[in-house]
Amino acid sequence: MSTSQDPLRPPRSTLPYDPRAEYRRKLGVLGSLGRSAIGTARSAVELFGTLGLAVASLGSPGAGARRLVRAITFSQILFTGVQAVGLVSAIGLLIGATLVIQTSLIVPAADGELLGKILVAVVLRELSPLVTAIIVAGRSGTAIATELGNMKVHQEVLALIALGVDPPRFVVLPRLIATVLSVVALMVYFSVVSVVATATIANVVLGASPLDLRAGISRALLPFDLVLFVAKGAGLGTIVGWVACHYGLSVKSSPTEVPQKASAAVVRILLGCVAYDTGLTALFYWLVARPPY
Amino acid sequence: MTTLPALELEHASHRYGDLWVLRDVSLSLPAGETLVVTGENGVGKSTLLYVCAGLIPATSGRVRLLGHVPNPNRPSELVHHGVRRGFVFSGGGLLSNTSALGNVTLPLRYHADLFGLDEAAIEARARELLGELRVSQADFHALPAHLSAGVRRRVSLARALAVSPNFLFLDDPDADLDAATKRLVYDLLERLRNDPGVTLIVATTSSELIERLGVPPRELAHGYLLGPGRSLSTLGPAAQC
Repeated sequence: MSTSQDPLRPPRSTLPYDPRAEYRRKLGVLGSLGRSAIGTARSAVELFGTLGLAVASLGSPGAGARRLVRAITFSQILFTGVQAVGLVSAIGLLIGATLVIQTSLIVPAADGELLGKILVAVVLRELSPLVTAIIVAGRSGTAIATELGNMKVHQEVLALIALGVDPPRFVVLPRLIATVLSVVALMVYFSVVSVVATATIANVVLGASPLDLRAGISRALLPFDLVLFVAKGAGLGTIVGWVACHYGLSVKSSPTEVPQKASAAVVRILLGCVAYDTGLTALFYWLVARPPY
Repeated sequence: MTTLPALELEHASHRYGDLWVLRDVSLSLPAGETLVVTGENGVGKSTLLYVCAGLIPATSGRVRLLGHVPNPNRPSELVHHGVRRGFVFSGGGLLSNTSALGNVTLPLRYHADLFGLDEAAIEARARELLGELRVSQADFHALPAHLSAGVRRRVSLARALAVSPNFLFLDDPDADLDAATKRLVYDLLERLRNDPGVTLIVATTSSELIERLGVPPRELAHGYLLGPGRSLSTLGPAAQC
């Protein structure tokens, strides 16, 4: 009979789940890579599961549930969209001023038309979606992740399940709809503020004509800019709401996890938003149609 | 004719990370029966209740409520199948951004069309239940954070009863209650125990409550649900580690 058994390893029990039989083998490099790959794949499945379940719940029956979800969506829009108007106004105004300053430094004789073209390329196509998404991520992304994390800690999500209330529908869907609508609406508002600020400051500082600025904007804009604008807004809004909800709901039971998950959510949202924005820009303006500068 | 058990667990186990909290739990509870689970603090009584109620999935094994497998992502499916669960959590569970009244009306509003209730009937039922559990009218519109622990427990109980549950899960239902409220809750639980439409599952360490319910408790120890024919000694030395 062999006596080579590891004396530190307890004997295996015949019972189904003997903790003494729990034995984590030391993994080599390949094993560690494998475990990491499995962990990443599992996280990705869970992440997409959060979005999929929420979107699928759009078609769920129940007029009472629909009324409740609508009410929560409105309150989320109030916080995510309406209450962010002041901050978006200030940043839009400052971005417009910065654009005029930088353009006048590079091209001292810059006219309204040049400013209009730069406004379209820099602000309307890139900064408007990205800055708006960053503002919403900073304000609402952290708030959503923290709120849902605390709901997990205080067993509120378990309570919803016990009451037969679907968390993907009641918790995730309203926040997702609110971030999408808010980001698109705030992008439009941000663009208007930036254009008005640029036109006013350029007129006062450089003496540029607002009519020339309008002509420059008209020449630089492409027909599908509107489609891309909406696609960027909807995509970025989805990333903010989706990732924030996912990280909030991934809190297990400890209050110390809440700020960690909220911070992780914002980091992932920022990374996701920049990657999505860059991807769409590269795809459309390189491959589909080059703007006529 | 064989009747379907109301609650059925088949070799259900659950673990948190590497820690097995429930091991190979099997039970079959007919409708209207009462199960009382007791055991030391931290032994896994709450987890057993969560698994039984389908709030968290068992790591292995199967759970069925009235023959239906619960899905924590779509709990409303169970309600559509006639499974109405009430759950009183040991540490809260009330929605913190909703008033006491809002907490009780929530499940009724969510399933309003299924239960055939209009807004007036929902409000009336919630007020009646809160009144029955001696929650003062002044507290109806207060947020849970502004209520005492005992009142929160009573609101939680009212919410659990709001859907006329056929399964009622109670995790330490008499904790934080004063003597008068305890009597009120015990009377209510006695009434529910005798109701053939309600399957009662109670986790408690209170000998007073166990005595009032008059049901032999089953002990949870080392993850095993002990009971008739199953003790730690019959499970072998590994179960006692």
